[in-house]
Amino acid sequence: MKIFKYIVSKIFLRKAILGIGMVLLLCMANYITFTAVRSILSTFQGYQETRYINQEGFYIANLDPDSHIEMNTVRENGTQAVYDYINNNFNYAFYADGFIVSVPNIDDMEISLVYMNKEYYKLNQFELLQGTDLEFDYQFDKEIPVLIGKGLSKTYPVGSTIEIEESVLGRPITLKVQGILKQNAHHSNYYALNSKIYYNFSVLFPVNEEFINHANIDLQLNGLMDITILQTTKEEISNLSEVIKDNLGLKFNFFSQKENYNYINKYYFHTLKIISITTIILLIVITCLSIWNALVSVRLMLKDFTINLLVGLSYSKLKKIFYGYFGILSFIDLAVIFIITAFNRYGCWLRKDATFATYGLFGLIGMDWLALLLVAASDIIIGMIVVESMLWKIKKIPISLGVLQ
Amino acid sequence: MTKIIDLSVKEKIYKSKKSQLSILNDFNLEVAAGEKIAIVGESGVGKSSLLNIIGLIDRNYNGEYTLFGSLTNNLHASKLAQWRNQKIGFVLQESALINSLTMEDNIKLPLLYAGSGKKEFKPEVFESITNAIGIKPILKKKPLECSGGEKARAVFARGIIMKPQIILADEPTASLDMENRERIVTLLFKMNKEFNTTIITVTHDLEIANRHDRVIHLGRSK
Amino acid sequence: MKKSLFRLTDMLELSIAYIFCFFLNLLFDYVKTLDLDAYLLKAFLKNFIDYQSLIVLLFTFVVIVFHYQMLYRKNLEIFCRILVGDTVFNITIRYILDCLTILIFVYLLSAFINVHLNFNLTGNFYLVLIFITYILISVRQVRKYENF
Repeated sequence: MKIFKYIVSKIFLRKAILGIGMVLLLCMANYITFTAVRSILSTFQGYQETRYINQEGFYIANLDPDSHIEMNTVRENGTQAVYDYINNNFNYAFYADGFIVSVPNIDDMEISLVYMNKEYYKLNQFELLQGTDLEFDYQFDKEIPVLIGKGLSKTYPVGSTIEIEESVLGRPITLKVQGILKQNAHHSNYYALNSKIYYNFSVLFPVNEEFINHANIDLQLNGLMDITILQTTKEEISNLSEVIKDNLGLKFNFFSQKENYNYINKYYFHTLKIISITTIILLIVITCLSIWNALVSVRLMLKDFTINLLVGLSYSKLKKIFYGYFGILSFIDLAVIFIITAFNRYGCWLRKDATFATYGLFGLIGMDWLALLLVAASDIIIGMIVVESMLWKIKKIPISLGVLQ
Repeated sequence: MTKIIDLSVKEKIYKSKKSQLSILNDFNLEVAAGEKIAIVGESGVGKSSLLNIIGLIDRNYNGEYTLFGSLTNNLHASKLAQWRNQKIGFVLQESALINSLTMEDNIKLPLLYAGSGKKEFKPEVFESITNAIGIKPILKKKPLECSGGEKARAVFARGIIMKPQIILADEPTASLDMENRERIVTLLFKMNKEFNTTIITVTHDLEIANRHDRVIHLGRSK
Repeated sequence: MKKSLFRLTDMLELSIAYIFCFFLNLLFDYVKTLDLDAYLLKAFLKNFIDYQSLIVLLFTFVVIVFHYQMLYRKNLEIFCRILVGDTVFNITIRYILDCLTILIFVYLLSAFINVHLNFNLTGNFYLVLIFITYILISVRQVRKYENF
């Protein structure tokens, strides 16, 4: 330890610019690795979620990208006709989100209302911290049982009620907290698997046929965008598309399990491949720059190293010192990445961004920690390459020549 | 004899963050053309600093210095550089060579700064010097490929290639064997004899010091 | 043999450092022009494009490292040149000119590519200003070696 302190303070820190150079290069490498790993993990997480809803015989709706919605032309009786047709002919999973209401809570967050029907709820298997599952057979004009996110549980424990001015029904309603969702429960966008919203400040609202019939056009249309028709056939789905086209003037695509997987394989795996290759290339470039920086350090510090070798420092000890020094630099960079991530995550709390606020140490979730772990692994690999290059360079030069430098 | 050096140093101060060191307090030196002077004294008394002042490298001292009849304190840096190139030759220790250049390029380095027409360089001068000090075989080598003695001789060759009027030698024989030591000293004194070159040598070797016209003992300042 | 402190390897090293920074900036500009329909790729690249200037600026630190190590290695050479008749001023000026020559050459190369790709010519110009600042700061190091 004494020798380590001596070498670091008397040799490395005397030429701090080289150390700073290495820290910056590692920081870049870490940022790239972290971003890539998190993108991949988030996409994989989204992919896992699609497996609940993307089953054989299921068709997931998606508005044709060439079809544009003009809200003025869509009439409420049009959407109602579509739902009547769906209710009569299909079993379906309904989901709609993005409806914001102001409900008093100790974190002063705006609350997001998430609407789902029984089928969707069953397919997604939400885990609860407290309380019981959602009930869908409720009295429409009485208290409506809901699940809430962990962030609201301090203000609204199980059994308490919430009064809201519900925009979808256009009248005040009373919600009764039936259960509390596990922290960081989330929903991934099926057509952007890496993007997700968190339910920590959401209210999961049970939707049944009667509710949809009384809901305004916003919810009805929004729900259609992500509707999943269960256990049906291609022919029946074509008929539904026709009904939607006739009533709403919109072209809807319904994709089968196979089509969805084809899309995911073609689009996501190809993109992930590009991301991985880009990341690897960038890491190789940064590693090359780090080696250059390390060899420059050796060039300037050779005399110091060789004099220490001359008076009794062994190569194995020097190797340990180099690894120790590189470990410190890596630790600094990991701390920087941690701070940036924490700042981003915690920033959601500060900005009152309810759909992205997460629970964890400074808001970091499992995916972040796993990415940090992989960053540490990449640092170890880069560190080994750099340290071995430095030692190779030092060993190549005879001690006598190094001392005379 | 013509006086070419008239140096009067009140003090030379080295400052560090924690302390300061004052050397060459009230030091005066007059040197005539063609004189051979040895400077001796224990380490740290300012022998090399004195050479730096005489050689116009260091102007950061309290005092006055007249060289070749001109007061140097206010002379422009380019004039001083010209004198260092044409009139003063430095013979320093072996490490004062540029490692990326060959020995030949190192020796010829002063010619690069001589400018056209100021002092005509004759290739035979280079030949005779390298022959005389026995470094012809290593001219194409780089300093790191040569021995300490070879490097010391190359430094010497570089110092005398312009046939300067003053040669400032800082421990010129420190890393040489007896044979090469004698070679260098002989050549140094030969230059003094043939071209009336003034020689100022800093040395710890009393035998060499005593072969000079005058020996100056530098003591520690109070 | 010239009066310059630069050897061929030094020139190559500095050129590569400049080219790397200009190329990186160019790459960012190029990626911005791509009409990517892949949301995931766009989201990934956004993490870098949003911080383009900062990332490029951090990478320019390799140029600082180059100047530092170059002048540190050349301390003996600077002293030797002063001994035989050079001046700190001339060495400094020569060093600035050498660096600027390499910088201008690399900038022109990048400007040519900019024109070829129909990019704004000023896109890389801020880097030139940064590198000139680095050169001017680094030459202070020459003066440090005036007295050995």
